[in-house]
Amino acid sequence: MGTELLAALIVGGGLGWAVDTYLLGSTPWGLVFGLVFGAVAGVRSAYRAAQRWQDSSGNSRR
Amino acid sequence: MEESPLHPFELHNIVPISLGGLDISINKAVLIMWVVVALVAALMVMAGSARRLVPGKLQSLAEMLVDFIRGIILDTMGEGGMKFFPLIATLFLFILFCNLIGLIPGSYTVTSQIIVTAVFATVVYGLSLVMGFVLHGAKFLGILVPPGTPGWLLPLMVPIELISQLARPISLAVRLFANMTAGHVILGVLFGLAISGGLLIGWLPFAFTIAMNGLEVGIAFIQAYIFTVLTCVYLGDAFHLHGHDEHAH
Repeated sequence: MGTELLAALIVGGGLGWAVDTYLLGSTPWGLVFGLVFGAVAGVRSAYRAAQRWQDSSGNSRR
Repeated sequence: MEESPLHPFELHNIVPISLGGLDISINKAVLIMWVVVALVAALMVMAGSARRLVPGKLQSLAEMLVDFIRGIILDTMGEGGMKFFPLIATLFLFILFCNLIGLIPGSYTVTSQIIVTAVFATVVYGLSLVMGFVLHGAKFLGILVPPGTPGWLLPLMVPIELISQLARPISLAVRLFANMTAGHVILGVLFGLAISGGLLIGWLPFAFTIAMNGLEVGIAFIQAYIFTVLTCVYLGDAFHLHGHDEHAH
């Protein structure tokens, strides 16, 4: 479940950085917002993963 | 002799082959993968050849495995998901046997190479994307909008959903790779301690390696199971497109 957090943060930061560097040249705002969105997305998908484990097994599993 | 705990993960070419500048040499990981494929195929073919009504040992093992995978698919994707049974069963058995065979000393854990897990994850995620667009067309982009989102939240939700979608293959690949690598690094460190500790105190870390080995067998099963379940969930998301909310209670 921790990997969900990490992966979303990497993707968010990466996208933000790419927007900065290749599209808009708006350093560092793309990276900043990318990381924030990444963190939100990570928490959201970790939350959904937790929900999934509870749904699929009745009692919570890892 | 000092040895890095990462040493067992290094790969050396056994048969160097180069094809048009591409390095397709045969190394230990490739060999082990062939062994795994041969093992799984032999197990399933031998188990399936008897086809008795009252199954023997091998046949009941195979039936248990197949029934287990069928259960996962039915739970996450429903009846329609059985179309993907061959793919998902192959993935599960291959990953499970790779994980287990890596625990044999002197062998190699193929799933501790991120390129292997990344290829699995890319295939699974790519398939889910292709299937989603084929089945639902442009409506598949609706996967970026969770059901019940008010309109004014769209500029926030779409980037967040986009990121969490793109993070899926990465977390799928990293989870399996990290779990297998970490487990084997711990085993390596403990074995190093056991050897350098000598007889006086070395028995303690050695006892821990035995316990860790047992734990690693469990992790081998759990990680193969998790990878399979998430594969089903991702394929199911593309298959149903929000339809899974009905039975998600």
